[in-house]
Amino acid sequence: MTRGLAAAAALTLAVVTALIALTGGGPASVLRHGFLLPVVALALAFGRLGGALGTGAALGLYAPVVLLEIERSGLTPETIEGLVTCAVVAGVGALGGALTTRARRQRARYETILTVQRALAGATPLEAALGRLRTVLIDRLRAADVGLVVRDGAREVVAGADRVAAGSVAAGVLAVGTSVFVPDVGEGRRPRRVFATPLLVAGQPIGVLAVERVAELDRDERAALDALGVHIAVALENARLTSRQRRFAEELERSVASATRRLEELDRAKSAFVAVASHELRTPLTALQGFSEILAARSLAPEEVRRMAGIMRAEAARLGRIVSDLLDLSRIERGLEPTLHRVPVAVEAALVATADLFRRGVADTIVVDCAPALPPVDADPDALERILTNLVSNAVKYSPPGSEVRLCARRAGAMVEVAVLDRGAGIPGDALARIFEPYYRVPATSTVRGTGLGLAVVKALVEAHGGVIHVESARDAGTRVAFSLPAVP
Amino acid sequence: MWALVRPWRPGTRPLLADTPTRLLVAVACVVVAALVLASRTPLPTGAMRVVGVAAGHGALLATALAWAGCVPGSGVVAIVLLAAAAAAATLGPAGALAYLAVPLWVAWLARRQRLVALGLAGPVPRRALLAAVVLGAFLGGHLLVSASLTLGVHIRPVGGAGVLAALAYDAGANVLAAECLFRGALFNRAQRRWSFATALALATAAYVARYLVDPLLPKSVEWVVGAVFYLTLLSAGNCWLFWWSGSLVPGVVSALVFFAAYRLLGTGG
Repeated sequence: MTRGLAAAAALTLAVVTALIALTGGGPASVLRHGFLLPVVALALAFGRLGGALGTGAALGLYAPVVLLEIERSGLTPETIEGLVTCAVVAGVGALGGALTTRARRQRARYETILTVQRALAGATPLEAALGRLRTVLIDRLRAADVGLVVRDGAREVVAGADRVAAGSVAAGVLAVGTSVFVPDVGEGRRPRRVFATPLLVAGQPIGVLAVERVAELDRDERAALDALGVHIAVALENARLTSRQRRFAEELERSVASATRRLEELDRAKSAFVAVASHELRTPLTALQGFSEILAARSLAPEEVRRMAGIMRAEAARLGRIVSDLLDLSRIERGLEPTLHRVPVAVEAALVATADLFRRGVADTIVVDCAPALPPVDADPDALERILTNLVSNAVKYSPPGSEVRLCARRAGAMVEVAVLDRGAGIPGDALARIFEPYYRVPATSTVRGTGLGLAVVKALVEAHGGVIHVESARDAGTRVAFSLPAVP
Repeated sequence: MWALVRPWRPGTRPLLADTPTRLLVAVACVVVAALVLASRTPLPTGAMRVVGVAAGHGALLATALAWAGCVPGSGVVAIVLLAAAAAAATLGPAGALAYLAVPLWVAWLARRQRLVALGLAGPVPRRALLAAVVLGAFLGGHLLVSASLTLGVHIRPVGGAGVLAALAYDAGANVLAAECLFRGALFNRAQRRWSFATALALATAAYVARYLVDPLLPKSVEWVVGAVFYLTLLSAGNCWLFWWSGSLVPGVVSALVFFAAYRLLGTGG
């Protein structure tokens, strides 16, 4: 198409020139207007270059006719007409070419902006969007290379290189926020122009668009690239916000799903707890009721009465502990800390008292091992007793009969660390992280009596003292639960 | 991408950096001395032409070579070769073939990658060579037609010894020196600092000025206007060829074709 048009224009010029020469019309020949046709056609088809080449060719062919006549006859009306025709041809060629080039550039800019918006419209990560945009811009801008840098929070997403080097043009534009034009990067046989413009959002540079071209990059095109940078910045900002919103929505969805799962688990745990607690409450009540009825209905020997009273006292104490745990848990769930009345408490005495409470049979399986000169702790005596009772109770319950349970205490800086060790079956790894959750019970221990509240209450009590608690456990090697309480200075 | 990974500092070297000032001053002194000598004693025939050719074209070529980064000795060699060729040319038309030693010297430098900055390295696009021949032929043909019509000059018979000597002079001195300096050195430097249009205007103005001060150009108005017209178009075309191809060779070819047509008018050499 373009070659055909160029050939037709050249042919027209040759025919018009030949006709003027053959008819002897001279500079005022009516055929001279025929030079305008190919000039206009070339200007419309090829823009500024076409207009210039068409004008040059037309004047090159027509000027000798006019100049020859001027040399022969001087300035006559005919030669003046010829000169005017030369001026008209030159003006039409230059103007038509310039307007065509300008209109094409304008159209190309609008198309580029549309292409940019399409490239960034898809729901893709920023890296992929930048890569796609770079490919599109290389094609649209007829560039040798295009680089894009966008700040996304603390990170920089780069297309066209691995990273932005310190001291580079892009780094400078990012720092200062103004465009930079480098007429030649100093490599290659032809000049490589580079123009880098900031991508501004609310006056702040969020990135850089750098264009490298082995051709002209004139002032108009640089201004157009500045404008394109603004469009890209807005489009990128929209894409970034959309991406961020999408990430937020996904995170929210995951959080809701996680919370829902947790609530469901909690609901199941509470249902299980109700069943267990009912059983745990009913058992001592049944014992109390049964023994009290026996005592009321029969006359028993004093030893038998004492035995039954002892059982009733133990069951009542057990009932009291369950109720205390429930009350503490209620406070914890309402976000309240347990009420403490802190005084200096001798740790060794507390450990010995707890050990005495749980000693079974003749064999002394609960060992107390305290470091010498242990300072007292700043603690609530009742709370400490409940902590120790819970931990030792667990150690005894989950250890084989006759195995050793060891209570240790030592100084650890400003704290006193107390540890309860048993040689039981241990706690599975996946359950370790959850054993301090209220209502949670290790699945394999469902045959052992318990409410799932004890360790949650222990943790709350320890933390209310400003201490910490942690568990170490190994399969079939036992469990070590250690907590710390502040020592009295 | 360069703009992202390569360090950059604003600022460029001066346009006239690396100009061999001492060599140019020495050449100017030789010319002045020759003029003084010629004014006092009669010199052998053609002596002033030898000095003029060696000094004029030699200064242009030596400057271009220096701008390309060659050692000053390269420019001196070019001047000596030009002087020798000009002296040989005074002995007869066949002696003008000695001018071809200069392009051989330039080609030798180019083969050693010393003239990369002048666009004399790497392959030359065939399309650029074709365009150069078309450009030179169009301008030369136009010159022949318009000059024969308006100025009444006659075309020399093709193959005449004088024409061949003139062609050798163009290839070895006139075209080579002008294209090396005004295209390979000046235009190339300017286009790497400013826009193509600015570089073209600067190189063309310098190119046209160089021919306007040439003592061999007839000083009638018609010839001066014609020279300005054709040399402006030739320079613009050659700048575009250099910009398009990145090579100096197409410009040299188009200028040789144009000057070949010009020599047919019998006014050169």
